[in-house]
Amino acid sequence: MFRIRCPYCRELRSEEEFSYAGEAHIPRPEDPSSLSDAEWGEYLHTRTNPRGPHREMWVHTAGCRRYFNVLRDTLSYEILAVYLVGEMPPEREEAR
Amino acid sequence: MSEPGGVVCRECLDRAFVNVRADAGDPRLRHAVAQVAGVDLPHEPGTWNHADRSRAYWLGPDEWLLVVEGDDGLEVEGRLRDALDGRFSVADVTGAQVQLELSGHDVGKVLQKSSPYDFHPRNFPPGRCAQTVFAKATALVAAREDGAFDIVFRRSFADYLMQWLADAAAEYGYRLAGWNEP
Repeated sequence: MFRIRCPYCRELRSEEEFSYAGEAHIPRPEDPSSLSDAEWGEYLHTRTNPRGPHREMWVHTAGCRRYFNVLRDTLSYEILAVYLVGEMPPEREEAR
Repeated sequence: MSEPGGVVCRECLDRAFVNVRADAGDPRLRHAVAQVAGVDLPHEPGTWNHADRSRAYWLGPDEWLLVVEGDDGLEVEGRLRDALDGRFSVADVTGAQVQLELSGHDVGKVLQKSSPYDFHPRNFPPGRCAQTVFAKATALVAAREDGAFDIVFRRSFADYLMQWLADAAAEYGYRLAGWNEP
């Protein structure tokens, strides 16, 4: 268990209040009907699954019910950054 | 007022619950809500305001719950729709909500047992509200000036949560008060 700072409630809240919503920054293809099955399968299923910092979406299910992004280390579970949908994680973590 | 010892639970009846979603930065929004419900919309996360018979709870950056005593949800919804302009959502959710008032000396301990949220007065003074996990349900909890707490949750969880509260508060002395008792 860990705690996440909800960027909307502006409080550290228990993980129990949140739901994981998958890897962040995966754009939906502009024209899905033009993709091959392999490309569509890639979009649907292939994830980076890194060992270390991972950009992921969370939703504050039991709280404000808003989605946001988290940069979390999958080894230590340390939360390196919390940022809004539409934003990119802070520069220093991007430079990995 | 808090009663010495124990936990007293009372259901708050005859209230209209209306969910409002709109752009928090729109000045017409605050004006419309003040005009219809007579209460100032809180813009600070995790806070609530009350005025006379109305309460407004912050639920999210563009979402609030209005609770108006002695009024009809559909009528409040209609008046808000007339007063608002532009892009907004107003929904009467009266039938889906239950509101309880929890008071008594040990009410804080029962809240602490029920939720991972920090309900200590240092973190949760009067005027604060939080939506959080409550037992195995979710609830909106608000701290009042008189030391009591208002809890709003979904009607379908009422049976479960009432039993949970009775069990959790039993060791302090639990009393379920009638809505019209002092």
